[in-house]
Amino acid sequence: MGLSTATASSEGIEICIFDLRRGQQEGQELDKILFFFPADCPFTLQLSVIGLSEGLITFTRIFSPDAACDVIDAERHSHIFYQAEPDIWMVMVVEKNKELEHKYLTAALQAFLKEVHSLFVMFHGSIRALLEKQPGGELARSHLYSFIMDYLTDFLVGKKLQLPSFRDCLKERSTVQMLTVGREMAIEIQSLVRVIESSCAGTSGCHSVVLFQDLLVSTTLPSDDTANLFTYAVLRMTPHALSSSTNSWSYLHKGSTTSHASTGPIFPNAELASEDYRHTSRDTSPGGQVQRHHLPRPLQRNKWSKAKDGFLVTDIWSGEIGSLVSASPTVWMKQIEERMVFCVYQYKNLTIIILLPVSSLVNQEQGITLMKQQFLENASQKIFRIEEKLSKGWGGENTYHISGYRYLLYDSHRCVSRASPPGKVATLAKDSLRALSKLRGEVDIEKSRAKRDDTSHEKDLEVCIRANNNSWVIARITRGKELYMVLEKARETLLYASEAMERFSDRYCNGAFSLD
Amino acid sequence: MFTKYLSDQPRVGLGGAGALSHVYIQHPSLKCSIPESKGVYYDDGNKLLLLATSDQVFSWDTSPSAPLNNTPGCDSINEGPVVCIRYSLDGKIIGIQRSNKEIEFKIRETGEIFTRRCKSESESILGFFWTDCPTCDIVLIKTSGLELLSCEADLKTLRSVEMKRLNVSWYMYTHESRLVLLSSGMQCKTFSGFQFSSGGIIRLPKFEMAMTKADVNQKPVLAAEDIHIVTVYGRIYCLQVDSLGMMAHLYRFYRDAVVQQGSLPIYSAKIAVSVVDNVLLVHQVDAKVVILYDIFACSQAPISAPLPLLLRGDLKRKDTSSHLVNVKKAEASCQEEIMYGDGWIFLVPDLIFDTLHGTLWRIHLDLEAIAASNSEAPFILEFLQHRRLEPSKVKQLCLTIMRTMILERRPVTMVSMAMDVLVASYSQYAKTGASHQGVSTTVSDSSRVVVEEPANQVETHGKSVIQEPDIEPSNPHKESSISDSDEATTTDIQNDNSGEHHNMGAREVVNQMGAGVSTVGDVETSALQSETVVNNNISEVASAAISPDEMFFFVFAIVEEEMASDPSYLVAIIIEYFQSVTLERLRVHPNLHVMTVQLLSRSERYPELGFFVINKIVEPSREVALQLLDSGRHNFQTRKLALDMLRQLGLHHDYILLLVQDGYYLEALRYARKNKVDTIRPSVFLEAALSSKNPQHLAAVLRCLSDFIPSFRSTPDYTSYSRVLKEIC
Repeated sequence: MGLSTATASSEGIEICIFDLRRGQQEGQELDKILFFFPADCPFTLQLSVIGLSEGLITFTRIFSPDAACDVIDAERHSHIFYQAEPDIWMVMVVEKNKELEHKYLTAALQAFLKEVHSLFVMFHGSIRALLEKQPGGELARSHLYSFIMDYLTDFLVGKKLQLPSFRDCLKERSTVQMLTVGREMAIEIQSLVRVIESSCAGTSGCHSVVLFQDLLVSTTLPSDDTANLFTYAVLRMTPHALSSSTNSWSYLHKGSTTSHASTGPIFPNAELASEDYRHTSRDTSPGGQVQRHHLPRPLQRNKWSKAKDGFLVTDIWSGEIGSLVSASPTVWMKQIEERMVFCVYQYKNLTIIILLPVSSLVNQEQGITLMKQQFLENASQKIFRIEEKLSKGWGGENTYHISGYRYLLYDSHRCVSRASPPGKVATLAKDSLRALSKLRGEVDIEKSRAKRDDTSHEKDLEVCIRANNNSWVIARITRGKELYMVLEKARETLLYASEAMERFSDRYCNGAFSLD
Repeated sequence: MFTKYLSDQPRVGLGGAGALSHVYIQHPSLKCSIPESKGVYYDDGNKLLLLATSDQVFSWDTSPSAPLNNTPGCDSINEGPVVCIRYSLDGKIIGIQRSNKEIEFKIRETGEIFTRRCKSESESILGFFWTDCPTCDIVLIKTSGLELLSCEADLKTLRSVEMKRLNVSWYMYTHESRLVLLSSGMQCKTFSGFQFSSGGIIRLPKFEMAMTKADVNQKPVLAAEDIHIVTVYGRIYCLQVDSLGMMAHLYRFYRDAVVQQGSLPIYSAKIAVSVVDNVLLVHQVDAKVVILYDIFACSQAPISAPLPLLLRGDLKRKDTSSHLVNVKKAEASCQEEIMYGDGWIFLVPDLIFDTLHGTLWRIHLDLEAIAASNSEAPFILEFLQHRRLEPSKVKQLCLTIMRTMILERRPVTMVSMAMDVLVASYSQYAKTGASHQGVSTTVSDSSRVVVEEPANQVETHGKSVIQEPDIEPSNPHKESSISDSDEATTTDIQNDNSGEHHNMGAREVVNQMGAGVSTVGDVETSALQSETVVNNNISEVASAAISPDEMFFFVFAIVEEEMASDPSYLVAIIIEYFQSVTLERLRVHPNLHVMTVQLLSRSERYPELGFFVINKIVEPSREVALQLLDSGRHNFQTRKLALDMLRQLGLHHDYILLLVQDGYYLEALRYARKNKVDTIRPSVFLEAALSSKNPQHLAAVLRCLSDFIPSFRSTPDYTSYSRVLKEIC
């Protein structure tokens, strides 16, 4: 595994977040650093990375004020830039090796940074807001630190961070995967959605998201909010996420080592580290100490569990560690611009997230208890029936496999994607994947170029490439919908390849890609 | 439209008639009195009320179709005692039972008379009836058993076909059920039953009825008055009144079993039973109230509380309105006097003859009052949907109830249940066809329904009698088969019609398409057109079943206007409706989809709207696509859904025009070429290319058009745009 993937030890990878508006004065440079990974990196090195990045941004802004730079390739390193918020930049420095396909990886790693940031904003609000709340920056730093460290644990393979590689080119990060259901089922699900809505009677503007296993079944949220919540749910709350976390939990306890200890070299105890971090950034305010205990870490593993009534519970948001009264988790929905309390109900494979606007809850505790009660009363029957039917009709992880094709379908407007199951993608030759990865990189550049030219006009694009190993690699874009596919063992002619694409489009995409 | 309906049929509304009663008799009654009459007889086989004088018998037709105040028929008979009179089913022979030993038969045409006497001294005749079963014409009930006689009218003789020997204390027969119950035993509670149907003779298993004992030594004897044969929904029941236990026991007859189906409480020593439109009316005569039961399902719960029978209409019609108060008083006192008077006899199934006043009343159900008295809408709707006598009134009532429920924002689950009832009822109607309505709609165990069958035939047969009063009721089997085939054809025709409707609608739409991309306006006009069609239909309904189209026009379209402020409740209702319609494999009216899109976009629930479209909850159609376009003015995603829908529907013309409108004229041109769309003027593309101020594109469009449209180079479009192109370059 290590050979063929873009692995990076803690030495090979650096992630930093900095604010261009801070530390502009001589001697206060450290102030602009909001996050740096690895944390034990000496300040001089941190400052040099950030200094270089800042310089590059300033320089490229001269030519392109709105979009400074995406990536800078040096001989041994690549700097991937992502402007998370105005003047707040996330930069990832990765060591180059010959396995890396930069063009695709730029977008993939940017998507990685974007996902961390979106999730962070969903739980903690924008970094800028945190900085404004506490101009010293400790609040933002401690939040960022624990959050990103928790996020990175998911990318840990052994003791190495495994970041997106060309092998992931048939995937699209931060998108929603949907379950396809028939009309009858869809109506039944909508009927359930109405029942959920009616359970929140009295609070207007409540929303719901329904998942079956790791697939989205229904949402009432706009696409971006859905994508963020979906990502979090799949990471930490779906039955799959819960079971994998409990497994590791029991395993870890058997070995009487903590999860922090096992990830020792890269992640020193996060709690400790954040403390260290604060000290190193010269935090002397006593408030910081108190803050530490109230710091919710939504991405911390093994924190969700199922209660007797079917609702998931967690102590992430509770004021004191171990206290019984758990405060309700809240998220910021950026598209509907509202902070919402969310409750998660789970019945077998069905996960239902109910969101209530904080502003409309007069008495939060009471309102939620009432809602839960009504929900259980009204919806249980329907949930039971729907879960049963969905489970019966579910064809397993290879449901969306289409034989002969390895594909990725991506709707950029709806943030929805569907792809060949990972097990099937893994059967592809490395050359095919590398070719596609390269093609995706080219397409990304073409896309951003078109976007710069005319934002209102979406460009159509079709590329068919015969790769080194005689496989066909195809990309097709029409009006916001993208289709990537790899055809191995296909015949030789271009006509054949394009017909195969056409057939796929007609059969599985309602002809969306067969316009001419 | 709502108000229009109310004014059209002012009586239809949830208010009911005002008075507290669910059942009424309507003035004027049928006057049936002859001054010197000596006896009243009811011939239920011919639905004749008979009054006999010493040498004449007067007969009144009591079938529902008979005109009021009709003059009675009259036949002369010989003088002598009369026990019972029954006309033969073809009306040619009058049978008169003279005593318990002798029955006299008179051929009406010739006046010839022949008699049948009891041969043995030990037996006596209890009664007789005419039958349409294939093996015999007359059945004599004697103390020693049943004697089946075949009548050879020309020979003026009766031939004994068969003798069924058993002891009989008394008997009970109704022509409606074709069932004769023979009582025997010390307490007269052991019963044998025979059904003389057109299909043959069916012998029912012997059974006993339960009776409450007053004390250990006393054994009560069951009387004929305590037994009522009840025919509802084509099933045959027997109601046994146990006045000691203050209960009425209900038995249901199957071919191979008699099953007790629960008991009804009674509140009067004297009980009378009627059946109106398959509703069982148990008159508590002493208490002067009536309780209604709908024994369609197994539940024995009454439909509502006991209420008095009401006399409707003006007794003194000639009085002017100035005497209104007096009249009302008189009416009230009159009512007191008449109701459940001593002279009342209850005739099967729904008649009351007042022997004191010589008036014949027909019992009616006050459906409005029943509907108004119960707030359990699903229950009431189910009850109403089972009623067959006044389909258009039932339909109006059901629609009103449905609208009221939604407007009052009753819980979604309850509205959903109510809609389920209506949809299931319509589905049943659509499946079985129009004229099967009278027949039971439940599917009972097939091996057990045989007894019911003949009764079903009787009902269909009864219907054809109504249609053609002259027809001879001698061969109902043949008739019912005829009417069966008729049904088949009529339903076929209906289906064809509805299909044509849709086609026509589609054609209309296609015609309107010529105008190019139009607004939603024309969708609405086409909706209006079909609305008038439905309007015309509703006045001549044959069934109370409510079709999805009617559901749309008379429920959703109306409530939508009044619920514009908060669409989410209505959306929830529509989803439930979709669900029940889908379960029954029916289709909703296409405009309901349009309405759903409107409602969702009005509340800016675009993510959900996307789900609805992608999962095809909202069925794709041009109307829906246009509505999506309209809603998509504020939401790019939604507009895109509309485009995709047009493309998937193959509405190339609309799709291309929209692409051009969005500035994708090159793509549009490509698409037009691929799908061979030639209905779009070349200038559409040319103008779009010109307005983009891109000479390359304009040149490309020109080139493309001249390549693919043979005569394009000779058109003025070509020359003018070529010139423009030259100027730009």
